[in-house]
Amino acid sequence: MTDWQEAGVGQEALPYPFYIDIVTKRYFDGVDNKALDQVLDCFTEDAVLTEVTSSTVHTGKAAISAMFTRLFTDFSSIWHGNFVHTADPGSNSVCSQFTVLITPHGGGELRYENCNRFYLKGDKFHRVYVYMSGDNLLKEGEA
Amino acid sequence: MQYEPHLDRAALIDLATMQYFGSVDRKDMAATLACFHDEALLCVQTEFTRHAGKAAIKQMFEGFFGAYTSIVHKDFTCTVDEKNGRITASFEAVLTAEDGSVTSLFNTNFWRIRDGKFQEVYVYFSGANVLV
Repeated sequence: MTDWQEAGVGQEALPYPFYIDIVTKRYFDGVDNKALDQVLDCFTEDAVLTEVTSSTVHTGKAAISAMFTRLFTDFSSIWHGNFVHTADPGSNSVCSQFTVLITPHGGGELRYENCNRFYLKGDKFHRVYVYMSGDNLLKEGEA
Repeated sequence: MQYEPHLDRAALIDLATMQYFGSVDRKDMAATLACFHDEALLCVQTEFTRHAGKAAIKQMFEGFFGAYTSIVHKDFTCTVDEKNGRITASFEAVLTAEDGSVTSLFNTNFWRIRDGKFQEVYVYFSGANVLV
């Protein structure tokens, strides 16, 4: 594969269920259960995760790890559900809408209606864009 | 919710980027509204706002068209789920106001298509909501 581009040409299509499963059964299952290794296994080493609504960019797996470590520390409960997916083997991408119920330590439950756009390189996330319906929760951690 | 898919990949992309956003950028209200079912739902998820039905959607676009002298949507990256009648696109919206000020947004729309028209549209903004 040369000159990789988000949803660009020349990528190998994976089976349709792969896109749904990596988002729900691997990635968000890992986030909800604070299983950091399971979450990070979904990303390429040089992946970039961007929280678009606050223009926060996490570049590389180390920065993404630090971000999730902080998220897992700051919140006692995390749940993602009510998914609706736009999965596209032809462009090796999947976009997902979902509800987030998340509870900070010592605080009340927050509800978000978010979406993510996932662009894969091979069989892992290479670029991820997150839109949040409220304050950004994916803040920089200590690398 | 899933609707019976009828449009192929090229037709879904054409509906979202050319018929819909092409019409929005021309401020062609009739052509814009022709993309929606009468009972369609347009939700701005990042603001928890919804516009239910074509009359409410029309009112929203009247405000949007009136607020800017120039509206340009460009640089689409589309993800297409042909089997489920869904398409998602990221794009830049460049909005120029009467006083010359320019607002640039990097948004994402999700469309669910029923019988060739929008049944549900979900908008996620990178900045302040302009669809009020």
